[in-house]
Amino acid sequence: MLKKTLVLALAIIMVLSLVVGCSKDVAETTEPQSGQPAEVAKEPVTIKFMQYTASGSQEETLKAMIDKFMELNEDIKVEYEVLAWADYYTKLNAAIAGNAAPDVFEVGYENFATYAAKDVIKDMNSAIANDGEFKENVFKKLAYDAFKYNGKQYGLPEGYSAVVLFYNKDLFDKNSVAYPNESWTWKEELEAAQKLTDEKNGIWGTYAPFQFWEFYKTIAQNGGSIWSSDNKSVTINSQANIDALQWMIDKSLKYGVSPKLNDDTFSQPDADLNAFKDGKLAMLRTGIWNFGRFADADFEWDIALEPGNTQKAHHFFADALVVSKDTKKEEAAWRFMKFMTSDPYAVSLRIEKGWSVPAIADEKVMASYYELDKPASRKVVNETLDSLVLPPVGPIPERWNEITGAVGEELEKAKLGRITAKEALENAAKRLQGLIK
Amino acid sequence: MVGDKKGKKLLVIGAFLLPSLLSMALFNLLPILISAVVSLTDWDMLGKPKFVGLLNYINVFTEEKSYIAIFNIFKFLIGYIPLVLGLGLLFATLLNRNIKGAKVFRGMFFIPVITSWVAVSIIWKWLLNGNTGIINYVLSLVGVQGPVWLSDFFWAMPAIIMASVWKDVGFVTIILLSGLADISNDYYEAAKIDGANTINQFFKITLPLLTPTIYFILVISLINCFQLFDQVMVMTGGGPAGSTSTMVEQIFKNAFKNYRMGFAAAQSWILFSIIFIITLVMNKLQKRWVNYEDK
Amino acid sequence: MKINKNILVPNLLTYTILTVAAVTLVFPFLWMISGAFKDALEVVKMPPQLLPNRFTFENFIEIKKYFPIEKFFINSVIVSTITTILQLLFCSMAAFVFAKFQFRGREVLFMLYLITLMIPKQVTLVPLFIVFSKLRLADTFLGLILPDIFSAFGTFLLRQHMLTIPDSFLEAAYIDGASYLKVFTKIILPLSKPAMATLGIFAFMYSWNSFLWPLIIVNSKELMTLPLGLSKLTGRWATEWNILMAGNTVSFIPIFIVYIFAQKYFIKGLTLGGNKG
Repeated sequence: MLKKTLVLALAIIMVLSLVVGCSKDVAETTEPQSGQPAEVAKEPVTIKFMQYTASGSQEETLKAMIDKFMELNEDIKVEYEVLAWADYYTKLNAAIAGNAAPDVFEVGYENFATYAAKDVIKDMNSAIANDGEFKENVFKKLAYDAFKYNGKQYGLPEGYSAVVLFYNKDLFDKNSVAYPNESWTWKEELEAAQKLTDEKNGIWGTYAPFQFWEFYKTIAQNGGSIWSSDNKSVTINSQANIDALQWMIDKSLKYGVSPKLNDDTFSQPDADLNAFKDGKLAMLRTGIWNFGRFADADFEWDIALEPGNTQKAHHFFADALVVSKDTKKEEAAWRFMKFMTSDPYAVSLRIEKGWSVPAIADEKVMASYYELDKPASRKVVNETLDSLVLPPVGPIPERWNEITGAVGEELEKAKLGRITAKEALENAAKRLQGLIK
Repeated sequence: MVGDKKGKKLLVIGAFLLPSLLSMALFNLLPILISAVVSLTDWDMLGKPKFVGLLNYINVFTEEKSYIAIFNIFKFLIGYIPLVLGLGLLFATLLNRNIKGAKVFRGMFFIPVITSWVAVSIIWKWLLNGNTGIINYVLSLVGVQGPVWLSDFFWAMPAIIMASVWKDVGFVTIILLSGLADISNDYYEAAKIDGANTINQFFKITLPLLTPTIYFILVISLINCFQLFDQVMVMTGGGPAGSTSTMVEQIFKNAFKNYRMGFAAAQSWILFSIIFIITLVMNKLQKRWVNYEDK
Repeated sequence: MKINKNILVPNLLTYTILTVAAVTLVFPFLWMISGAFKDALEVVKMPPQLLPNRFTFENFIEIKKYFPIEKFFINSVIVSTITTILQLLFCSMAAFVFAKFQFRGREVLFMLYLITLMIPKQVTLVPLFIVFSKLRLADTFLGLILPDIFSAFGTFLLRQHMLTIPDSFLEAAYIDGASYLKVFTKIILPLSKPAMATLGIFAFMYSWNSFLWPLIIVNSKELMTLPLGLSKLTGRWATEWNILMAGNTVSFIPIFIVYIFAQKYFIKGLTLGGNKG
């Protein structure tokens, strides 16, 4: 039966491939006709743009920016598509596989290296060279350089995000504990947290999520890292890292200043954010994208740099615009990405609408960001850049999701208490070694 | 005359099958065969595929995660199939009794089927919450300390089974109901004259005549079980620590997140082989227990 | 129909079981509906309240900030309706052949249909997209609809039901000189109403909730369907659950209407089968 099935299937396929083959020829002959006008540049050039950071409530802001761009550049028409973060790479990769990549698209730092390494995006050095007006120092150097690959500039940074220590001023006042400042280390954090914890009323001194992203920053705060500095070997199982992981566990297990690790309530979506807003957390490590969410909390709160142990370390999430390798509209694409990332109109709109923090060097421009609404210490956001840790893509950026998956699973086992911190990191080291082969 | 009739019959068969055959071949078989070719390559979707022979298949067999995924599916199957079929049969039989309000009940049973997993996953996470969930509260009433379901290595899968049965039992009930609707009342009339009671009627008439429908449900459910994906993604993402990881969950991650399309295709073909063999076996076995009217 | 009306105790038991089951099955759904009317803080409050403290319709208006819901909604209605009608037609035609004709290779061909159910969609998605790109069907309504106009599931479902229609019905009709088409439209289809109604609901539901394929094949807002919009309600960093609930509530309504509509045919099928039997 199987044999017959296969024979039949093959017969059908042969007929079909003929059909598809024919239509492919048709498609190819019509191609130049639609491609030609783009080169002439008399009619508007249409560029396709795909992105995810506007998904949610910033689509109108994006539209305003694009409208302004088209108004200023009448020879360019932008067709844009906004996707949810969870689906973005699924669609983008399928589009690239089907030779239908958008001309300009957005990538996060941790995925950027993959696209550069796989040679699907264009290096913009010639565009930069041809553009007399462009100065790279409009961008913050760190953010700009993050999108270099093998010394070539591939993308322009749109903005960045960071994680900081949020704290509930009212709780600190009530327990007469001094507010966190930049000199704090884990020790001070723990001492304060012990005073602030009030288990009876369900108030916890400090909270940080228990997952891979938090882990790679925490080990950096203890001087550790996942990869050796030359990116050649795995160092995830170092003693400093084991200690850091133990600290993540001990905060709840030993010191009782964080919710229990198997506390299901905190595995609910956004539970930590809601707990903070509800006045149940004195200190919380979370992203600056939550400013708006906490704006109407009924207590005073502010932010500070994260306490480290042997050194400071802060997350750095940056998104950039890049250009598809196959685009025939490089010049238009360049003008567009330059506008979206650094034009004063786009930058101030980005700040005004609370979309993200532009990666712009000019402090005068940034002043308008610092003056926005709560929290008072917005400048801290800028200070995190002095001790940033990039997502540890190591020697295998294209296997980033496997890195997060493998390490994440081992961390989870340690969190559940199935294995010790040391065992977890030994396992993780083995799995990472398997990935780099 | 006879030959002519036969020719006409073949023509009719062809005409009736044409649309489905064409769309199946073009939209299903063709991509499936392309995926077979892809499974022999190392392809990240971004660049050109590179032929690697059977390497992907070998890798699937040597990766521990593959076995964990299969094991997890069997864990799911063992709980899910009996529960969903048993409850479905019970509900369908009761609803078929032409009681008042049957329509309303049917409607209510069907609601979970058409509610989206995303919305529903939040409430299930809450129901299953180890500290404040209703399920553990009910258990505590009978003196049982419930686990932290979705965060527990062992209990996460039973939790997913519960949620899946909840979601699908309406589907099974409705299919069984339409199967029951096909059963002619004459059989029951005849049985009554013979003096059979309700339970007897169920086992002597209802169940045998329902076997084509049950067979359908079994095949479809098995295929779906092996492709378990949605509920896992929204409720546990395969965790904790891989205890609810499934084949399709891994296939999806490998294809779209890990840039391993070739490997994912190989996994799919191995999954296909498993499902195919099981379906074949069920197809052979059905002659022993499935009761078609035309015999 | 005339079964068991004399037994009172089993009736009571029936109601008890059904009520308990129905409440359990409907509760999470009710929570979703009530979530659609709650504010952002209340919707995630644990333990949840079934009724909002203050009813708000704002969430439904808020959705428009994320995507043009009425446009996507209409697109979904068009796509799902066409898909359902075509699927009912093509599946019933195929099922008729598989149930009521004897020919060589029937079983093999049927198995081939079933095979298409056994390969996960996640892996055929990209090949199908490449085929459609080559056929210039990317970002078109046709491209959105075509892959779902037929389903092996539907053929299987209908065949299983048609197998239970006694051959004697058909033979009588053929002897009377009825054509195959006539037998199909006048005997097979009317007798398959319960199964057709069932398939109708499922075809509509699958098409209505279909996500991955539309995600990949469609780029323009003019063609986007509701699930594509709903997915935008889930944020990268955080999600506003009340708006998500509101979106899912809107999405739920059409399927429920189709269900109510199809439900009638279960009963009709019942009596029809009874009369002819």
